[in-house]
Amino acid sequence: MGTKTSTRRQARFLPYILLAPTLIFVAAFTAWPTLLAAYQSFFRQRLNIIKFKEPTYVGLGNYTDLLTDERFLRVLKNTAIYVAVTVPVSIFLALFFALLVNRKLRAIGLPRLAFFYPAMIPLVSAATVWLFFFTPDYGLFNTALRWVGYDGPQNWTGNPSMALLSVMIVVIWKNAGFYMIFYLAGLQGLPVDVFEAAAIDGASGWQSMWKIAFPLLRRTTLFITTIAFIGAFRDIDHIFVLTNGGPSQASSVLLFYLWHVRFENSDVGQAAAITMILVAVLLVFTLTNFIISERTSKDV
Amino acid sequence: MSRFIRLIVMMAVLTLVAAACSSDDSSSETTAAAATETTVAAATETTVAAATETTVAAATETTVATGDPVTIQIFYPVAVDAPIASIMDGYATDFQQKYPNITVEPVFSGGYGDVKTAIQTTVEGGGEPPALALMLAADIYDLANSGLIMPLDEFIAASPNAGAMVADYFPAFLANSQYADQVWGIPFQRSDVLMYINKDRFAEAGLEAPTSWDELGTAAAALTVENGDQTQWGIQWPSGWPYWTFQPLAIGAGQNIIGDSDTTVVFDNPDVISAVQFYIDLSEKYKATAPGVQGVWATAPTDFASGLTSIIVHSSGSLPGILEQADFEVGVMPVPGSEPGTFATVVGGGNLYIMDAVPQEQKDAAWLFIEFLSEVERTADFSVQTGYVAARQSAYDTEIMQAYIAETPQAGDARDALEYAGAEFSVQNLGEVRDIFHDYLQRAFNGEMSAADAMAAAQTESDTALEPFK
Repeated sequence: MGTKTSTRRQARFLPYILLAPTLIFVAAFTAWPTLLAAYQSFFRQRLNIIKFKEPTYVGLGNYTDLLTDERFLRVLKNTAIYVAVTVPVSIFLALFFALLVNRKLRAIGLPRLAFFYPAMIPLVSAATVWLFFFTPDYGLFNTALRWVGYDGPQNWTGNPSMALLSVMIVVIWKNAGFYMIFYLAGLQGLPVDVFEAAAIDGASGWQSMWKIAFPLLRRTTLFITTIAFIGAFRDIDHIFVLTNGGPSQASSVLLFYLWHVRFENSDVGQAAAITMILVAVLLVFTLTNFIISERTSKDV
Repeated sequence: MSRFIRLIVMMAVLTLVAAACSSDDSSSETTAAAATETTVAAATETTVAAATETTVAAATETTVATGDPVTIQIFYPVAVDAPIASIMDGYATDFQQKYPNITVEPVFSGGYGDVKTAIQTTVEGGGEPPALALMLAADIYDLANSGLIMPLDEFIAASPNAGAMVADYFPAFLANSQYADQVWGIPFQRSDVLMYINKDRFAEAGLEAPTSWDELGTAAAALTVENGDQTQWGIQWPSGWPYWTFQPLAIGAGQNIIGDSDTTVVFDNPDVISAVQFYIDLSEKYKATAPGVQGVWATAPTDFASGLTSIIVHSSGSLPGILEQADFEVGVMPVPGSEPGTFATVVGGGNLYIMDAVPQEQKDAAWLFIEFLSEVERTADFSVQTGYVAARQSAYDTEIMQAYIAETPQAGDARDALEYAGAEFSVQNLGEVRDIFHDYLQRAFNGEMSAADAMAAAQTESDTALEPFK
């Protein structure tokens, strides 16, 4: 009798006990810092200003300051452009590369490696390499562009209308090969008979690509979109090397600016407010993504 | 069942970790508060304490030097192409031979920014920072206000040699080491802005080394050549992170961008505006350099050494690398000023700071290591091995330095440039004010605003950012 109840009790608590380590980790390293940042964002605290060192309550002061600050609005706009361009372009290139190298040829490993190679080097190293590529006049990138007939400005990292583009180019170059791997795996997992049937029905390569392969790869696309979106907010290392957010904040994005406000300006309150804005954006995306994926999995 | 027990143990450990994380916050507040108190107390007590200190500190020195073993860490960055790590390890070993009970552990910590961030996060998280760190001289106000570093006046007053040591530093280096009438940092890894000229090219074109802005512009224009569809510019002047390379222009026009107090910046001034305009003129009027902001800091030394440009403005720290690569005669000089015969440069680089949050015996040991590193011979040795300018004037009288200069006269020219040196841009709230200045300076360079409008806007915004400190 005694053993039976204890077994039952154990069974009732066991799932929670098994979940506990994860829950504690999430609570300690995700939920708690987020709550702390939410709390701090209502206070003014400047560690480098003696009279503002102790937090004082300012309500929504940090948020209104940020949203009326021309510099921060520029950073938000840069971030929107950065995400809206790098995510779809790297995904499209990834699919394109995957289709290119998804063949049974003798030395196919070589082009696959060539496309994947940028993903293996650290972002800082990639940025350092690109710094030399971008050099005006003799830089490899400019030389290549000239060869195809480009004769516009060559000062990529110093020109206010090209600096953001140059940091986007680097990150697209770096990520496309990485996402290609997922598409390649996805393509190789597709059933061959479907394509054979389509070929017999007289479908062109283009049709079997867009009408069959791409829809079947939807799960892969969804997964890549998620990691690409989060990565677009997270990968800022190359900005430090290439432009330092300049000229005149033209290539500064949200996380880079956050680092700047927190560690260069020692502004705890405003940094917390930026963190909350970042969390809110990511939360909205994750929820939307989750809802869409739920719906599509029902469709399938 | 044993698995179940293991789970419980694991959970307990995790809860402890979580608890430790949350309790760290309260302790960091206490540390911060304590730090403020110490700073305030130290500031008011210096004069009173000065008389009695000597005996106290002399006593601590003997205790530290002969007492219980002490281990201290020094965080340092590597910012130039020199074997800094092995040099630091060598100094630590030599030091331990002199003081067998003190162990110094040099810790390479990335760039200057990484060292500062590492220490900030350690102290804010309630951890114990290294006793000693090599950080930017310009960061003095932020470091002191945040309670990270301590004033060194007590150590200097107590040490028999330190008075002479402090008096021996080039004045421009000390200008960035003092705050509220106290010394907070000891100059160590210091540099200045130099103009490097390709003397062979100058001779071929029949040009003399420029002594004014106009001569510089004219010479650079004469050295600009069209090479097929590429332009080989006469001069490259990096401006991706512009304040440092811009300062020699402002100083050379007669007005540094910082004023007498730590809350004054001078941007909206005719001389400073003329300096901004000269940078623009180099491309617009003289056609001697690429238009707009030049993000060429990393590539300029190589471009110069391989002959892709004939003049660059760069750190004295790049001298050894350039001399090693260049197959022509390299000339080194301060940047010419606006009037004929005037010159200017600005100092930069890192100071040694003692962290306030470490126990007293570590502070004492750290000071002994500072004194050891600052000995005249060692200052000279560090300069010869790395290419940094020696911060102490008498280092240039040592045999090792004389021999080095006889062999590499450019190192002597780098020292001579210091006579024209102004203080580096360093004010309260530096991060924010520097952002504002960079923002508008680059807008002017890129032609988005006129030099006068940009400097007026920079002045207004900076004054607002400096308001809380007045």
